[in-house]
Amino acid sequence: MAFPSLRPTNREFNPGDWPTKTFNSQSGAETRILYGTQRTNAKLQLGYANVSDTNAQLFLDDYNANFGTLRKFTIPAETRTGWEGTGASIDAPPGTQWRYESPPSVQSISPGRSSVTVNLIAVI
Amino acid sequence: MAKAYTGRDGRLLIDGVEQIKVSNWSLTGTLEVLDTTTLGDNQRTYAPGVQEFNGSATLLYYNDDGRNDAATALKNVLRVDGVDATDTVDLRLRLIEGATNHDVRLTAYITSVTFGANVGEVSSANISFQGTGALTEVTI
Repeated sequence: MAFPSLRPTNREFNPGDWPTKTFNSQSGAETRILYGTQRTNAKLQLGYANVSDTNAQLFLDDYNANFGTLRKFTIPAETRTGWEGTGASIDAPPGTQWRYESPPSVQSISPGRSSVTVNLIAVI
Repeated sequence: MAKAYTGRDGRLLIDGVEQIKVSNWSLTGTLEVLDTTTLGDNQRTYAPGVQEFNGSATLLYYNDDGRNDAATALKNVLRVDGVDATDTVDLRLRLIEGATNHDVRLTAYITSVTFGANVGEVSSANISFQGTGALTEVTI
């Protein structure tokens, strides 16, 4: 089972950040220490509006196949459709993969049609 | 044979009874569409959603037998005991062509009525209706 190769109707990408810790001295000077070499916690929200129930079920099947939020995986290029920059710039940062941050939300719209929202988070 | 329909060909039946003194009726059918456009598309695409039917009619308020005049429609809203789920009417919006009837038939609730009396005018009743469920007959 792989993440569904469907083109989303909306997409929101958050690039995450490098693990750092910030210290403030009494003088007001700020010191930042880098604790890792990889950007983490990138987030991706994908919306699939008014898709067929059959396609909506693909997300539920994939969620089950990944034991919910347990396993990590890669996502197909279709999820980046419409993005004219480098595909990697809105994908999971190097060295990380996606996992479900929360269960997919399936909203029934009309007979045979549903809207799905998927929230992913990049993890090492 | 080609025929242009006019108001003379129009009829309105409520619960199977042809209404007299109808001056107009209209029906609007709409289809809700669901936007299925995805990222990367340059044109919008749609999938059919649910349909809706509603309309209106004007009947001159002519007192006859209470079943074939404006009172029939008015009594579906102007009542003392409220409206129940079963208080629907069977509407047939008809255009006749000789002996042939071209009907659109639907089950509907009368949703509004307006009537009054004006000096120098024949009293008329304007009704609006909202279809419920699918059309039951279409022979246009």
